[in-house]
Amino acid sequence: MRIHRRVILGYCVAIIVSVSSPLYADETCNSPYMAGLIKGQEDFVHVWTLGVPGAGDESDKLVTIDVNPASKTYGKVIHKISVGGRGEAHHMGFTDDRKHLWAGGLDDSKIYVFDVGTNPSQPKLIKTIDNLSAKTGYAGPHTFYALPGRMLIGNLSNIADKGGVTGMSLYNNKGDFIVKYAMPTSAIKLVKGDGYGYDIAVNPAKNAMLTSSFAGWNNYMRDLGEVVKDPEAMKHFGNTMVMWNLKTMQPEQILAVPGAPLEIRWALAEGQNWAITATALTSQLWLVSRDPQGLWQAKDVAAIGDPAKIPLPVDISITADAKGLWVNTFMDGTTHYFDLTDPQHPKETYSKHTGSQVNMVSQSWDGRRVYVTSSLLSKWDKKGKDDEQFLRAFRWDGHELTAAFEIDFAKEQLGRPHHMKFTANPPRLASLTDKSAR
Amino acid sequence: MRRAGALAGIFLGMVAGAASAAVDPGRAAAPRMEFVPPPPGSYKLQRIQRVSDALLLDSAGHPVSLSAMTRGKITLLTFFYTYCVDPLGCPFAHTTLAQLRDRVRGDGALAGRVRFVSVSLDPTHDTPAVIATYGQEFTNPPKFDWRFLTARGVPELLPVLDDFGQDISVEMDENGRATRTLHHMLKMFLIDARGHVREIYTLAFVQPRVIFNDMKTLAWEARPNTVKSTRLDKLLR
Repeated sequence: MRIHRRVILGYCVAIIVSVSSPLYADETCNSPYMAGLIKGQEDFVHVWTLGVPGAGDESDKLVTIDVNPASKTYGKVIHKISVGGRGEAHHMGFTDDRKHLWAGGLDDSKIYVFDVGTNPSQPKLIKTIDNLSAKTGYAGPHTFYALPGRMLIGNLSNIADKGGVTGMSLYNNKGDFIVKYAMPTSAIKLVKGDGYGYDIAVNPAKNAMLTSSFAGWNNYMRDLGEVVKDPEAMKHFGNTMVMWNLKTMQPEQILAVPGAPLEIRWALAEGQNWAITATALTSQLWLVSRDPQGLWQAKDVAAIGDPAKIPLPVDISITADAKGLWVNTFMDGTTHYFDLTDPQHPKETYSKHTGSQVNMVSQSWDGRRVYVTSSLLSKWDKKGKDDEQFLRAFRWDGHELTAAFEIDFAKEQLGRPHHMKFTANPPRLASLTDKSAR
Repeated sequence: MRRAGALAGIFLGMVAGAASAAVDPGRAAAPRMEFVPPPPGSYKLQRIQRVSDALLLDSAGHPVSLSAMTRGKITLLTFFYTYCVDPLGCPFAHTTLAQLRDRVRGDGALAGRVRFVSVSLDPTHDTPAVIATYGQEFTNPPKFDWRFLTARGVPELLPVLDDFGQDISVEMDENGRATRTLHHMLKMFLIDARGHVREIYTLAFVQPRVIFNDMKTLAWEARPNTVKSTRLDKLLR
C-alpha cells in the first residue's frame, strides 16, 4: 500500500511537527508557514515549463510527472496544462494551505493560479491574474512566498524602464491585490540600496525577512552572450540583500553582497542565526548571520567551482537539518554538494556533471532524491547541441548521485523545464467540499 | 439537500465514536519568538479582505449575522470544534485567547473594544447547547465579549469557511469511513471594527505579545485624528 509508506503531515498535524521539530527541509524552498510538508515519498513533481516556438503547442505549461517508484506510470509525464501563450514561465509557489500553486511569467507579468489540492495528479488552472503591472508598476513576478492567507511576490523589474529597480507585491489568497513594497534605493546604516529584487525568505521566530537581488527585464530577456559583452549591461545586476522587519515590512538593514545574490535559505533550527545564498556572477556562497551586537552581517564563505570561469551558480537546495547544500552551476552543468556542518566554512564534498546545462535543483525532505532541470531563461539557455532540455531524477545515498529516470522535454515537445514543486496524494482525507467525500 | 444529508452523515459517523475522545491536551507550547515586537501604531496592518456576511447560530440557538459579530469592535475570530484534542490546535488557540482576554480586560485602550468569536467546524456535533457548555470555561468571567457560534448545518458553514480560506478535511479510516479527526490549519483572524481582516495568525504567528500589539494598533487607528497626533508610546503603553 503506497499510502502507508508515505507520511504527509496535513494541517494541524503538519503544524505540530513544524513547530516542535527543529528540522525544516526547504522541500525545497517552501514558506515555513505552509501546511502539509511532504516528509516521505512525493507522488508528483510539477514543472513550470517555458513554451518553445515549434515545440508542441508552443505554450508555457505546467507539466506533472509521476515520481512515485511504486506507481505504474513512474517517471512519466501524466498531465500537462497549457496557459495559452508564452510569457517566460519561471518560478512558482504554494499558498499557505498548499492547495494552490501560483506561477509567474517574467516577460508578460501574468500570474497563473493552479488548483493542485483537489487532485494533484491533474492540476487545473483556476485563475489568471494580469493586473500586477497596472497595480504596482512592477514587472517580472519571480518569487511566490506564502504568508498566512496571502501571497507575497518578489518582482524583478518595472514597466517604466524595464530595469532592475522593483519591489514586492502582496495579494490575498483570493487573488485580490493588497499593497506593494518598494525595494530600498536609499542608504540604511551607510549601505545604499540598489532597489533590485529576486528571492524572499522569512524566519518567523525572528520576525525577519531577507530579500536578494538579480536584474531587470532589459538583462534577463536579452541574449546572455550579448549581456556579458556589454559593460553597461553588466552594471545592472543586484549587489545587495535586504533584511526586513516582517511585521512592519520596513527594511532595517542593507547588506552588500556583490554579484547577484539569488536563492535564499534559512537555517530554521532553534539557536541558528543564519541564512545562506549564492551569488551568480561571483560564484560564492554568502552567509548572512547575526553578530553579537544583533546586527546582520554578510560574508562570503566559500567559492563555488572556479569563480574565474564564471560557472554561474543558479539554484540551491538546503537539507532538512541545514547541514548540507546542493548547488547547481549552469555553465558547466555541474551539481555540487557542500557540507554545511560549519556554516562559516562550507566544504564541497561531492560534484557531478548532470547535464550540458543545469538550473534548478530540488531535493526530497529525506534527502534521498534529487531532481534537476535544465533551463535558466529562454534567452540565456545554451545554443545548439548543448541546449539540452530535461528533468533528471537521481537517488542520493550520501556518497553518489545515481540516475533514476529522465524526461527529455525537447523530445516530448514540452518546452524548457524550469521550477519544480512536489505534491502528494493526501492519505485518507476527505474534504468537506470534495464530492468524493459525499 | 443530498449533499447536506451526506455531509451530516460524515459528522454523525464522527459523533458515534466520540465517547473515548476526551484526552487532556496538556499545556500547549507557544511558537518560538526571538524578537521584541514592534510598538503598537508603529506599523500598518493591511486590509487583507472583507468578511462576507453569513447567518450563524449563537450558543442560545438564536440566528446571528456574522457581520454583527465582526463589526463595531476589534474581533479575533477562530475556528474550532469542541472535541479537538490536538494540543497545538483548538485547545492551544483557546488557551492563548484566554490569556489575551485577561490582558485586554486590563488594558485601558482595549477594554470593551475587543470581542473574540469562536466558530465551530462541526455544526452537527457542536449544537448551540454543546458550544454553550464548552464556552462556559472561557466566558467566565462574563465581562468580556466572547461569542461561541455554530451553524445550522454544514451547507450554512461551507461558505464561511470558503470566505476565510479555512480548509478542513475529515480523516477517513481504512474502510473509507469518517473518523473523529478533523484536520484543519489553525488560523486566527484579526478583524477591524469595519469588518476587514487585517492580520491572520497561523501557528508560527500565534505570539500573544504581537497579537496584543496588533489589536492596540487597530485601536489607535480608529481614534480621532486629534488624538493620533499624541505621541504613540505614551498613549498606548
